[in-house]
Amino acid sequence: MILDGGLPLLMSLALVGAATLGLLLIGRFFPANLAPIVYLIPVMVAASWWGTWPAIVAAIASAASADFFFFPPYYSFRLDDPQAAIDLSLFLLVALVSGDLASRVRREKEALRRREDELRYLYGFSRRLAACHTVTDLVEAIQDYLTETFGRHAAFFIPASTAASRPAASDTVPAIIRNSVAAMMKPGEAPSRIVRDEEKNNTWLLRTVTSADTPRGVIAVDLGNEPCATINRRRRGLEAILGEASQTLQRLDIGGAMEEASHRLKDQLLRDAFHGNLSHELRSPLAAIRGSASVLESMPSVRSENQALPLVSTITDEAERLDSFIGNLLHATRVSASDIRPHLSCADPRDVVNAAVRRRSRQLAAHQVDVRFDDDLPMIDVDSALVEEACGQLLENAAKYSPPGSTISVTVRPGTECVTVSIADQGAGITMEERAQLGRRSFRGERHREVVAGAGLGFWIASTFIKVNNGSIDIESGGIGRGTTVSIILPEAVIDEDDVGSNDE
Amino acid sequence: MWVQTMSKPTNLVLLIDDEPKIRRFIRAGFELHGGFTVQEAEDAAAGLHAATFNTPDLIILDLALPDRRGTEVLDLVRSWSNVPIIVLSVEANEEEKVRLLEAGADDYVVKPFGIAELIARSHAALRRYFKSEKENPVVVTGPLSIDLVNRTVLLNNNQIKLTRKQYRLLHVLATHLGLVVTHDQLLDDIWSGSVRKNIQYLRILVRDLRQIIEPDPNHPRLLITESGVGYRLQSRLEDITLA
Repeated sequence: MILDGGLPLLMSLALVGAATLGLLLIGRFFPANLAPIVYLIPVMVAASWWGTWPAIVAAIASAASADFFFFPPYYSFRLDDPQAAIDLSLFLLVALVSGDLASRVRREKEALRRREDELRYLYGFSRRLAACHTVTDLVEAIQDYLTETFGRHAAFFIPASTAASRPAASDTVPAIIRNSVAAMMKPGEAPSRIVRDEEKNNTWLLRTVTSADTPRGVIAVDLGNEPCATINRRRRGLEAILGEASQTLQRLDIGGAMEEASHRLKDQLLRDAFHGNLSHELRSPLAAIRGSASVLESMPSVRSENQALPLVSTITDEAERLDSFIGNLLHATRVSASDIRPHLSCADPRDVVNAAVRRRSRQLAAHQVDVRFDDDLPMIDVDSALVEEACGQLLENAAKYSPPGSTISVTVRPGTECVTVSIADQGAGITMEERAQLGRRSFRGERHREVVAGAGLGFWIASTFIKVNNGSIDIESGGIGRGTTVSIILPEAVIDEDDVGSNDE
Repeated sequence: MWVQTMSKPTNLVLLIDDEPKIRRFIRAGFELHGGFTVQEAEDAAAGLHAATFNTPDLIILDLALPDRRGTEVLDLVRSWSNVPIIVLSVEANEEEKVRLLEAGADDYVVKPFGIAELIARSHAALRRYFKSEKENPVVVTGPLSIDLVNRTVLLNNNQIKLTRKQYRLLHVLATHLGLVVTHDQLLDDIWSGSVRKNIQYLRILVRDLRQIIEPDPNHPRLLITESGVGYRLQSRLEDITLA
């Protein structure tokens, strides 16, 4: 304390000296005794800048110099007048009390600022946590957070079973510390340890973070290689923050975050694999099958053979079905990765719906498809490829869940600043419970699982694609066996009427 | 049948694709159809060599080649030759299609595809190529007949009246009969010199033109939308079932 606080004490004395000089100057012109009030200034300044001890020193020094310079007999510490003795004692009391108050205000202000810093780190930390996709990211984020909070080098260790790869920062941690950390991961070990790294002469403080009694990781903080007393002092300070930090980590559910991160990593790998090679690898043989079948189909010898032609058509149909299934999986991986960036532009709703019907012509071949457009359709502002795919998915569903030969009617009509596309079938209908579950990936109604092929991705893809186009989707049904109507509402494009006029020149 | 009437008896098709099975069925399809001789190249190097020394009438180019990106091959061939090029791709992404068309591809076909689609596109590309040499001024498709020199349009043998921009649109599409024309190219050709170009104008112009030339404007069969890419004037009405 004395070593650390040497400068503030000297500064306090200097302030008292300055006050004395000021008083001596003023004393020449005004006879009034201002000493008790003016000497409060250095005491308050010392208290609010440097804390309690400098304030006490300033108070005593002030009392002493007041006695010496401004109470008769002057230039002596003796006091003849009992009134002066009472004044001086009162001054000392007031100075000590107000000094203490001021320094308490200062301490609170500091605590507030520290709290603010901690909150800021914590806020930054939680934002970073949300962006973590792998366990390695997470560990790095925690390490940075700890280093910021402690102002010392800190590392975060996780159990080997969770680690996807060893985080880079732990390489800077000596082997002996890593060994102790490994020992602390076992259940039943003491939650906190001090380890000395003889090689570099550093001392490390280790503490386990647990959630639901499972050790989730160990925080290691480098205390430095200073004398024992400093280390101990630093350790006490750090342990307090460390307790709080490990509680924070528990509160943020680091365990859950880690599991999620490793799931996300797996998802990402699968997605990358699928988008990169896998879809190419799957589609190339399909292209050869589909193409070869189409050549066979056009051969006169096959065309004249009654048995061969249907077989060739089957090859074509099934190859196309597989291809559309791969397409669906690609869409689904994009949806689950939230990796859809729609390119909105002006489109004719007729084009979008016609293309969807044409693209699904094979799946719709067994049904009567009745498409009706209102005469007065505005343009819509959408990514036509995405909306076309969404309509296609819904048409396919309508065909799957309604009997062959029945009618699927598509109506397109204008609304208020929007266009509504309704797809109605005369099929199985939908119950309230099924409706509630529809938005989920891979949902398939219990009633149809046995009879209808599919992965249950259609409605999920369609509703996501419609939503990214600022549209909405609604499904209604008269009940079981009474058909289903799905309505899509798409935003109208804003057209500059003046410019359009120039088309008719 | 088209090619025989419009150019030499057989056209040399250079097929650049690294997958032997794809090459096999394309070759079989073209030879079965008649009027084509197919030469195969299994990578970009062999393809570029053949394109330089054998002067093919048509190139069918796969984008995924082992030694070089297909788009580079496209750029290289376009740097010295005007030969029709049709691109094959597994990528059905619209921006990619537009980029390929702007880089000089005459059309694209997305894998997997039926051979009829590829042959129809090939005819369209060859026709455009030979037309520019022979200057046949009347384009006929379905009930529509467009006289490119006299700028008159007949629908079911009756002359119809079009606004200047409607005619311009039909003219550009007719000179690319059967081939896709990108939005940008249409906007450039129709609103040339105009400062602001907007796809909205094009959408509305197409809607208005369909009201005049299509038997059922709600289900167009002549003027076809290629979603996210552009428009295509069908060369024959039955082509629509291929898509």
